[in-house]
Amino acid sequence: MLPELGNFAIILALCFAILQSFTPRFVQLGTVSAMAQLGFLSLAMLILIINFINDDITVLYVREHSHYLLPILYKIGAAWGGHEGSLLLWCLILSAWTFAFIVFSGKNLPRSTYSIIIMVLGLLNTGFITFLFITSNPFKQDFPETPIVGNDLTPLLQDPGLLFHPPALYVGYIGFAIPFAFAIAALFNGKLDKHWARLCKPWVILPWAYLSCGIVLGSWWAYRELGWGGWWFWDPVENASLLPWLSATALLHSLIVSEKRNVFKGWTLLLAIITFGLSLMGTFLVRSGILVSVHAFASDPARGVFLLSFLAMIIGIAFFLYAIKIKHFYQQPQFNLISRETALLTNSVVLLTAMATIALGTLYPIMLDSLNLEKISVGEPYFNIIITPIILFLLLMMGFAPHMHWGRQSILTLWKKLRMSMLLSIVLGITIPWMLGFKIYGLTCMGLALGIWVILSTAQFCLTLTSHLTLHHLAMIIAHLGIAILVLGITINKSYSEERQVKLFLNEKTSLAGYELTFSKIDEIHKPNYHTQIATFLIHKNFKKAGTLKAEQRVYLSHDQLFSKPGIHYNAFRDLYLTLGTLHTDGSWSIRIYYKPCVRWIWFGGFMLLLGGLITFLPIKKRGLKHAYH
Amino acid sequence: MHIIRTVKFTIPLILFVIIIGFLWHGLKVNPGMIPSPLISQPAPEFKLPQLFYPNETTSNDDFIGHITLFNVWATWCNICIEENDFLLKLTNIENLRIMGLNYKDDVALAKQWLHEHGNPYHVVAVDSSGNTGIDWGVYGTPETFIIDKKGIIRYKHIGPINAAIWEKTLYPIIVQLRNETL
Repeated sequence: MLPELGNFAIILALCFAILQSFTPRFVQLGTVSAMAQLGFLSLAMLILIINFINDDITVLYVREHSHYLLPILYKIGAAWGGHEGSLLLWCLILSAWTFAFIVFSGKNLPRSTYSIIIMVLGLLNTGFITFLFITSNPFKQDFPETPIVGNDLTPLLQDPGLLFHPPALYVGYIGFAIPFAFAIAALFNGKLDKHWARLCKPWVILPWAYLSCGIVLGSWWAYRELGWGGWWFWDPVENASLLPWLSATALLHSLIVSEKRNVFKGWTLLLAIITFGLSLMGTFLVRSGILVSVHAFASDPARGVFLLSFLAMIIGIAFFLYAIKIKHFYQQPQFNLISRETALLTNSVVLLTAMATIALGTLYPIMLDSLNLEKISVGEPYFNIIITPIILFLLLMMGFAPHMHWGRQSILTLWKKLRMSMLLSIVLGITIPWMLGFKIYGLTCMGLALGIWVILSTAQFCLTLTSHLTLHHLAMIIAHLGIAILVLGITINKSYSEERQVKLFLNEKTSLAGYELTFSKIDEIHKPNYHTQIATFLIHKNFKKAGTLKAEQRVYLSHDQLFSKPGIHYNAFRDLYLTLGTLHTDGSWSIRIYYKPCVRWIWFGGFMLLLGGLITFLPIKKRGLKHAYH
Repeated sequence: MHIIRTVKFTIPLILFVIIIGFLWHGLKVNPGMIPSPLISQPAPEFKLPQLFYPNETTSNDDFIGHITLFNVWATWCNICIEENDFLLKLTNIENLRIMGLNYKDDVALAKQWLHEHGNPYHVVAVDSSGNTGIDWGVYGTPETFIIDKKGIIRYKHIGPINAAIWEKTLYPIIVQLRNETL
């Protein structure tokens, strides 16, 4: 009964999405349809979750992703843990974004712009819900004759991270549909003014903040669950989330210039289209199985064909519109070579370059394969070599840009203002590793110096600005500091991590990076859905107890598969990370230990981006920002 | 000037069309076919006990003179049961030996499994520790390598073999290898 109701809800949502696509003719109808659509999609999601909680194994999707022994929290998470459910979530989120847009920005926009935006969002969701219903229906049922149990959720996904990582990522990805719709509206109407830019901005900042958060959560999940002690693998699926992030960051900065100075309009429009295009491409890459990756769990060629056709149509039309309409937006630039405009333009060009190189690395194997040349895979060395100089250059620019004036800027004043910070950061970058007795590498010093440079120059910006600090300034400061902390974390982590593999008997000791670990005991514990062996290690430093660490090796009953859960002992400055390997016949265990300095800074910096993005939405009245459109 | 500008603005569209073209084509190639760095290299060395004759060993030397299908399997791998059904049909193919690598498994369970489902293997090597699997770059089970008469790896297939994959990819390679001399 319930699954049928779920199907019905999806069909109704689809009907309303189609109605919503007619908004330019019937504005009221479009608005109401968007709201009804949200209602029915929420209902469908709710029904799916209830099916999971009730273990309704007649529903294929539930059967494949759940098990009656699975803890209830993961049953709820499993509702979007697989392809079908995650697609339902995708449609629901798009619908929720549409609703939020209507509520918060609907009244402030001219009717022509508003109705085109709602239409574009309606068309998008028509496509997605059709895709959901035809190729990936989560409510598909069959009635097995013999009693069976579900397949269970992949052990890797049985983690609190699952509950938040995909939704956060999706909220980010799909949120870019709104700036995309803004861009289409601007191209249609041949008009992009400051008002447009100001209203569009929150709809870039918010998805950007969530995407940042989603990427960070993903990295954190991979670190804790995959057991390799890495936090970024340049895996195609990870890259697929990084690409729209880079392009959205470029869009954010370009949009600020469009808002304040009424220039870079074509560039802003292009970036809005590219950003959403990359979000769609990310989904396509993950869902089509075109790339082999640790994350790509669902793949089906039919889905790939549909998604690719849809992507080609939507983004193709957008680029076509761009090509024929963009000449109306051309303007003689009115700023000097040395100015904040140039700095921000450089920023978005560099970010887009970074995006293009990563995209090239990700797609290159597919391209070679298509041309029947050879099969290769592009890995970490390529990405690290290519990205490092780009990021370092960006950091250098990041220190200067906030201090530059709109229009024109004298290099001499800038130099006088910032030379102390510059000098100090270079000195600190070299002396810090030296004073702490670490080895000194050229690249490490550069990374440290540039990270510190961003912090110092941002602090200096703060000091010169206290008189009229706005929320947007604050957001910028937090986000830039977040990036600086992230880069410092990466630099230190990459330079000074240590690892070793040892074979240990019970009560034996080993040491790594000044820590002594004692294998003190091993316990066997039976949980409802898995059995586990927990090894406890005592950590000592300088003969003082520093803590304990528990690493697990689980056997999930429904999978009959070994699954190692690493033990992590952390503080603000380092992680000790231990994975349990195989038990040898002589009773010893192979274990792998990692010493990871400052690894937490990476995620902390990442979360600062979320904080920075969200802070702009604090309900504090901003002077000069509230006036209606004429 | 005007024309140049118009052309410039269609660049994104053109690039996009090219990318879509590649992705479209990419959909049609088999993503399960991952290149292995071991292809065209001599098979990594190993010397392992045999499942049914624990006192005897098997090693690289056994590859010489035959075309070998080197199949990595385990009893904890459910798809392997399906694949096993198909492998049983291949046992009578001329000049082809099927060698099993029982990967990270329990010996007693493995024996029982083969009794239950049928044994397609001429010889089964036991790799309880998984070390040989690591040398061979095994991602998971099942995986199958085609090894030529000189003991050189010529192809690697990830995932179960079925009739379609056999007809389309693996068998043509074996026919080609048959014509090669030792």
